[in-house]
Amino acid sequence: MPRWASALVWTVIAALGAGTLGYLALSRGEQVNAAWLLTAAVCTYLVGYRFYSRIIAAKIFALDANRATPAVRLKDGRDFVPTNRWIVFGHHFAAIAGPGPLVGPTLAAQFGYLPGALWIIVGVVLGGAVQDFVILAASVRRDGKSLGRMAREEIGTVAGTTALVAVLGIMIILISVLALVVVKALQQSPWGTVTIGLTIPIAMLMGVYLQYVRPGKVLETTAIGIVLLIVALYAGRWVAQNPTLAPLFTLTGPQLAKWVIAYGIAASVLPVWLLLAPRDYLSAFVKIGVVVALAVGILIVLPPLQMPALTPFIDGTGPVFAGKLFPFVFITIACGAISGFHSLIASGTTPKLLQNEKDARFIGYGAMLTESLVAVMALIAACVLTPGIYFAINAPAGIIGTTAESAAEVIRAWGFVLDPAQLRELTSHIEESTLLSRTGGAPSLAVGMAMLFSNVLGGTGAMALWYHFALMFEALFILTTVDAGTRVGRFMLQDVLRHVWAPLGRTGWYPAVVISSTLFVAMWGYFLYQGVTDPLGGINSLWPLFGIANQLLAAVALCVGTTVIMKMGKARYAWITILPLCWLAVVTMSAGAAKVWSDDPKLGFLAHARLVEAQLAAGTMPAGAKTAADVARMAFNDRLDAGVALFFMASVVVILAASIYEWVRVHRGTATPTSEVPFVARAAA
Amino acid sequence: MTSPRLPSLAADAPGVARRVAAVIRRIIGVPDYAAYLAHVRDHHPEQEPLTEAEFQRERLAARYSQPGNRCC
Repeated sequence: MPRWASALVWTVIAALGAGTLGYLALSRGEQVNAAWLLTAAVCTYLVGYRFYSRIIAAKIFALDANRATPAVRLKDGRDFVPTNRWIVFGHHFAAIAGPGPLVGPTLAAQFGYLPGALWIIVGVVLGGAVQDFVILAASVRRDGKSLGRMAREEIGTVAGTTALVAVLGIMIILISVLALVVVKALQQSPWGTVTIGLTIPIAMLMGVYLQYVRPGKVLETTAIGIVLLIVALYAGRWVAQNPTLAPLFTLTGPQLAKWVIAYGIAASVLPVWLLLAPRDYLSAFVKIGVVVALAVGILIVLPPLQMPALTPFIDGTGPVFAGKLFPFVFITIACGAISGFHSLIASGTTPKLLQNEKDARFIGYGAMLTESLVAVMALIAACVLTPGIYFAINAPAGIIGTTAESAAEVIRAWGFVLDPAQLRELTSHIEESTLLSRTGGAPSLAVGMAMLFSNVLGGTGAMALWYHFALMFEALFILTTVDAGTRVGRFMLQDVLRHVWAPLGRTGWYPAVVISSTLFVAMWGYFLYQGVTDPLGGINSLWPLFGIANQLLAAVALCVGTTVIMKMGKARYAWITILPLCWLAVVTMSAGAAKVWSDDPKLGFLAHARLVEAQLAAGTMPAGAKTAADVARMAFNDRLDAGVALFFMASVVVILAASIYEWVRVHRGTATPTSEVPFVARAAA
Repeated sequence: MTSPRLPSLAADAPGVARRVAAVIRRIIGVPDYAAYLAHVRDHHPEQEPLTEAEFQRERLAARYSQPGNRCC
């Protein structure tokens, strides 16, 4: 393309992006079509990719096709395998995209569509994609070293240790909150419970088939698994309609929590070929399938957004989670805008696969933009619901009561309309016993997806199938994070425990495996159980902790990135990682402080502990507590959560202080040298 | 990977299907035994390569022992 034509095209894209963003930001009162949001997002991504990521690729790393990558130099056919860029992109995307970008935007929709949309779109271009790309490029230049290792070698031992401990802490909170989302989605739903329950024997059947009947035939086995999933979907409906069987599978939150905990232990102890690997293959397919289906549904229907741009809840009085727009929208939406967890992937499998280091831009920056688009689509799916329905599904029973009428009354007081008859009609269409207070984000996303899909295929008659289809897919890949995460957590714990008693570190010794698995599951299981029994719904306390943890990890990654950039002698470009780092430091510290010290008992952990104790002393039982022991447990959990938040905040401070110290040493020329591997030409490798 | 020209694409449907399957396998993270075998033959002819079953076991164990594979 001639220069002038290229300039013209990019001017049009930039103008279109700016125009649609401006329209979104300024439109008030009238309904906005999802097409505006999608156009604004895609144009911003294109401009960000073309111009902003170029600074990192060309100016900072000077990515060079002639420089041999670790995959080329260290090729071993196992970890280090030079791979086509599109395949690495697909693999990397399947690894980074999970339930996070679906759940976060759904919850953040309580502020209206605008805050979440702006943060997702701007945050990814200036923050999330920068982080993923910089860490990937840094790791590619260091033989594919992990984030923790780079933190230790580039910043120092303190930063390295903090990073490792933080990763373990984050895993615990991440798994517990995701397990909570599954429990919330399945409680009192025999159809959902049976369908999801059946995915476990299906995976084991696939595992046995793959191991003994048709070794190596992964695609054939996965195809069989997908057919069985469809059968499970209908089997769930059959059970739910059967009056004798249905009550057996209508489980309460605590019952489901125990099953999920048992599943976590089993997944960590059983051989990987039996459960984890087949589930993972199934889930990777399902993940990409859900994303494509959601995109197709939205593109065909182009639904209007029922949610207003801003709701009154930006003042912090929202029912879905407590806290003001700032900083809580930036904590609630992590994946999709910036997610620290990605830095573990970008310094994990992916850097060992790149055949050309220039691919790092497309894979690191590009895959994150794609995940951001998924988050935008999840936000659209949440805003397809009328605000009345959205809040009926996502507000806890402690606030809206347990009948459609009580919910309608509370929601009317907020300024939204909920017609109880309409809610009941929707509930019967999706064949559930209730939609009230199905918190956690998954059910409301499934309702939104069912509305979109049934528009395209099957009409209202198919809504129940679509709803459970969406729910099954969400739960399937959430549970895949729970089981694989538990196993990884178990290994990390064993690595720590071996310092206490060496045999505990032996990964092949069964007692050590069982002890460490049980210990790790007990850690996340405690938070899960606490969330399930929490009268405020659990999401309110656990999701912000997860957000803070994830943003803490992002801060670690950006500190590593900044240090790497400075040690390359490119300090004048270090603002590219310092900018999002400053923002995250402000966001995590202010959100953490609010969760710990706010005087509002709905928001602050310590204030809530004081409130329930004062209620007990005054002789009135707090909601959800029956005995003095219940109250004591609630207050203990509040203080524990406050302690976790404080721990994450302290980690942010430590990592920042250690990094700034190292930056000063770089400036003075006394820093430890970089661990970057010197240039090796491709031909020589 | 070179992309075949269109006429050969139609003529060689099974071959194309095989390659599509290979791409999907790599994306969902199935260990590639053929590539491993080729690598050992080319670069370490003195070594006895792992059998396919051993290779799969070793790869799966590595996959689920460190973070870096899975996200939220």
